[in-house]
Amino acid sequence: MAESEISPETSVTSDGNSLFGNAAFSAASYHEAFSAPGQPREHWQHLITMLEERGAAGLRKDNERARHMRQDDGATINPFDDPARRSSAWDLDPVPIIISASEWGTLENGIVQRVQLLEKILADIYGAQQLLRDGQLPVDLVFANPNYLYSCHNIRPSGNCYLPIYSADLYRAADGRFRVLRDSAAYPAGLGYALENRIVTSRIFSELYHRVQTHRLAPFFRAFHNALIQRASLGQEDPDIVLLSPGPESHVYFEHALLSRYLGYTLVESQDLTVRNGKVYLKKLAGLEPVEAIFRYLSDLNSDPFALRRETANGVAGLIQVCRENNIEMINPIGSGFVDTPALSTILPSLCKTLLGQDLLIENHPAWWCGNDEGYQYVLNNLGQLTLSQALQSVIVAEPSENLSARISSAPSQYLGSAPLLPSVAPGWNNHGMSSSYSVLRLFVCATEKGYEVMPGALAISASDVGSLAVNAPELQRSKDVWVLSDGPVEPFSLMEGFHSVDEFKRSSDLPSRVADNLLWLGRYLERTEGLVRLLRLIFQKISGEDRPQHIPELGFLLKLLRLKNIIPTPAKDAPEIPLFLELSNHLNSALYKRDGAESLGSLLGNVQRAARRVRDRLSLDSSRIINHLEYLTDAGSADPLEFLDEILFALSAFSGLASESMTRSLGWRFMDIGRRVERAMQQTNVISTALPLISSKPRNTLETLLEISDSTMTYRARYRSAFQLAPVLDLLLADESNPKSLAFQLSRIAGHIEYLPRRRERRFAYQEERIALKMLTGIRLLELKEIHTRETSNRNEELAEFLRSMAQDLKEFSQQITGHYLTRVPTTPHFAMITDDRKE
Amino acid sequence: MKYAITHTTGYKYSEPASLSQNELFLYPRETAQQQVLQSSLSILPEPQYRHRRIDFFGNTVDVFMVQHPHDELVVKASSVVQTSVQATPERSATAPWEEVANRLASHGQPADFNAFPFLFASPLISVDPQTLSYAGVSFTPGRPVLAAALDLMQRIYNEFSYDKTASTIDTTVEQILQNRKGVCQDFAHLTISCLRSLGLAARYVSGYLETIPTPGKPKLIGSDASHAWVSIFIPDFGWVDFDPTNNLVVGESHITLAWGRDYGDVAPVKGVVMGGGTHRLTVNVDVAAQPA
Repeated sequence: MAESEISPETSVTSDGNSLFGNAAFSAASYHEAFSAPGQPREHWQHLITMLEERGAAGLRKDNERARHMRQDDGATINPFDDPARRSSAWDLDPVPIIISASEWGTLENGIVQRVQLLEKILADIYGAQQLLRDGQLPVDLVFANPNYLYSCHNIRPSGNCYLPIYSADLYRAADGRFRVLRDSAAYPAGLGYALENRIVTSRIFSELYHRVQTHRLAPFFRAFHNALIQRASLGQEDPDIVLLSPGPESHVYFEHALLSRYLGYTLVESQDLTVRNGKVYLKKLAGLEPVEAIFRYLSDLNSDPFALRRETANGVAGLIQVCRENNIEMINPIGSGFVDTPALSTILPSLCKTLLGQDLLIENHPAWWCGNDEGYQYVLNNLGQLTLSQALQSVIVAEPSENLSARISSAPSQYLGSAPLLPSVAPGWNNHGMSSSYSVLRLFVCATEKGYEVMPGALAISASDVGSLAVNAPELQRSKDVWVLSDGPVEPFSLMEGFHSVDEFKRSSDLPSRVADNLLWLGRYLERTEGLVRLLRLIFQKISGEDRPQHIPELGFLLKLLRLKNIIPTPAKDAPEIPLFLELSNHLNSALYKRDGAESLGSLLGNVQRAARRVRDRLSLDSSRIINHLEYLTDAGSADPLEFLDEILFALSAFSGLASESMTRSLGWRFMDIGRRVERAMQQTNVISTALPLISSKPRNTLETLLEISDSTMTYRARYRSAFQLAPVLDLLLADESNPKSLAFQLSRIAGHIEYLPRRRERRFAYQEERIALKMLTGIRLLELKEIHTRETSNRNEELAEFLRSMAQDLKEFSQQITGHYLTRVPTTPHFAMITDDRKE
Repeated sequence: MKYAITHTTGYKYSEPASLSQNELFLYPRETAQQQVLQSSLSILPEPQYRHRRIDFFGNTVDVFMVQHPHDELVVKASSVVQTSVQATPERSATAPWEEVANRLASHGQPADFNAFPFLFASPLISVDPQTLSYAGVSFTPGRPVLAAALDLMQRIYNEFSYDKTASTIDTTVEQILQNRKGVCQDFAHLTISCLRSLGLAARYVSGYLETIPTPGKPKLIGSDASHAWVSIFIPDFGWVDFDPTNNLVVGESHITLAWGRDYGDVAPVKGVVMGGGTHRLTVNVDVAAQPA
């Protein structure tokens, strides 16, 4: 290990070669890894030794690898961001937290007891309400609680399972015992991140991972899935399960896409679903497909805008009615978010005695609810030492003010005071060396036929100071993997196997209209971007030579193409067609890097990335990585435009190559390809229309440039071995179906795709888009080009111009028909009958 | 009294609606003062899906869906009910309001259980210092709870003007208090907010009121309307209904449809359509007294 590679922040002990030294050993906190300075706990021994062997230089590389892997997977956004703020990067600290087998056993028992208790409470409040009648459960905790949904009362989930999945945040206190900080039931936020962290960490430290008998996570996901199938009596082969996400605007969309791909549940957004006959259906291209189970990543209050009468973009109108009729398996049942109520934990110790006849195995983080006299008095007497938060919602009350006690007294049951948080510390890698950080562990539990099963692992959220962990400061937090050691050998079960096979099979048959729409636009944006990149690259190549711009004859044509798309400004009336070099390069640079111009390269790439993110679950891992890389390229920029354009073009070509090589010939692929073909056909039509009037004045340069833009120079040379002549050039670019860049090639592909789209009417050419596709293809096949000459303004040339105008019109019409037929989504509007009474005088 | 009620709600859409989902609270409740002799529902076009249930508050709820394109939707509810005058305690003999509030706050009496859901703020009714201070004028220390509540009713009747244009379904209690005008729903919401801010239990009642025609003129069919009023919980007695819009204790010309925490729980007709463009709503209510 080279001394020079260790930065000054690294703690080095007196003997000079330990990574850990006596770093941040605080007597106040429990230390996960060491019982005393220099004395690792037994279950950490292997990891500590391995880390020492890797040394700072090795770990720096490991950290870099982990960062790249996560960046490629798109897992870098902090899921716990405040939605109002800009999303922040979320690092993974590759050094895991290790938990011994015996300690895990204790944790497991405690968490299982807690879920059982919470489930009984849910069953009561949404059922007989005996706990409320008996005064065991304070009525204000339920009836004043926005998390309690009246409209879900008396809905009984299948198998009486109120908590199919649950998560809890725990920390280890100074006494070495774990405490529960909060409960969460509406949906298991962080589950996908835990999976991703394991995939990354187990690869970074693969040798150790396999040597130390770490429990695998995959069996947990399998148990969850099997229990769902069993409970809801779903078909074993091809169950219709969807994962309902708020969509790509959500910070945790990565997680939804990952889980969807991993579990094989179709990723849907609210507007993909509709309710008919008291059942849920997925809107697909071929029609409505029944949905049997929904794994939701939507909050309770956003799940059904109709029943909950909320104006939200999310949610499925009528979903609660479907639940009422027991026609859907909801994970979790709507209303389970009641468990998230912060003050609920304060009454768990007594309810545990009543309902289970046991003491609570894992204590709560100390908190006092002002809704009872004892808690109220305690909070008022200790205001200075406590964090005050809303009792019913997870909101911290702002800075203490003088009238705080007055506020509490006016509505005591709304307030909760919590003791300061002091979690344990564990070694972690910061960017310079080993350090210690505080961690909270998020554990996940699922219901199975045999009771509750805890995922043997967790998502650790860590920060270097307690403050950043306790308050919502996601930009100062990192995540860690948690390894649970096993006493015996672990079941070899690869995480990556997932449940893919079923899924791919399903996808080839049909897909949601929204996905098809996004794929179509992804195809169009990709092609539009590629076209612009080629054009800009050509221009930069031309002007980087020795000639002054004014002396490059074809530059006028090229700039005209940019101006037609408003990419660079049109010169004033009396200004020269070709501006001076400095002005020109200013224009071109803003075309490259500016993000706000509607058609600048920057904004086009933004469109590509957005469209790609929307269909992330449909793209192969490699394709997603290219998109992420593209994002990186765009953000990083480059001083050399040609180099920048080359890299972009390279990434785009790699994406296209992957799409044509590795995407199954499914409907999704067809829609993406239709998008590309339509866009390329439009571009080609436009380029040739623009070139035609210029050909008579500068025939040679214009023809050569035409071939260059279309990337067909080599083909032309190989085929014609002659000087550039109008008729053969046009033949190659328009009518030659064997040239992948020709208009005819695009139209023939479009006509081919159309035949495979789902249709209700049997008769061919019954739909408008089929007829337009046929008309366009026939038109180009019958196009007569022989008599066209450069130096003539003959009727033939005028006819061709007219043909191209009408082609542009048909392409536009075709694209509208496809959208109208397959992709249109109708907006919904609520209506309420207003009370219109008359006052009796 | 015996009444025959027809309540017709019609929607006309500017463009065909492909899917319509609706929830109806139009089936009158059985109470000590009200017997439902008959109630039926006719919906055009014929819905493909219908479902009836009893909700958390004991109301009968009908849900239906029309699942094919339609440009008009008509819901007609027809009922016959027999009403009688509610028994009310002597207002000055009721317990001091603070005593009632304390008893409810202790959550100690199983007999009070049905009042608990109506003690707190609800989605459309906030409980705040403004309504508390407005209520304070009527709720003087030691005043019997019903006497104070009826005084509050009288003040709202006198100090607020009836104005159909002043409010929408989204008008908040603060806005009503500030603008001093509204319709029955607003006055009910305000009254309930005042009572809950004191720790009393109050519910929102939706129903109808028979219109007494101006002497000498025939009664206009359809001039009746949906109505809303308030019910307050008096421990050891039960619920007492009163109507702040008309400044009266509810009698036998009030017909009860449903009750909940606020309008949102029991809107007589609410729905959601896919497509449909803009819609035009017509509501017609006819309350006709029947020979006994």
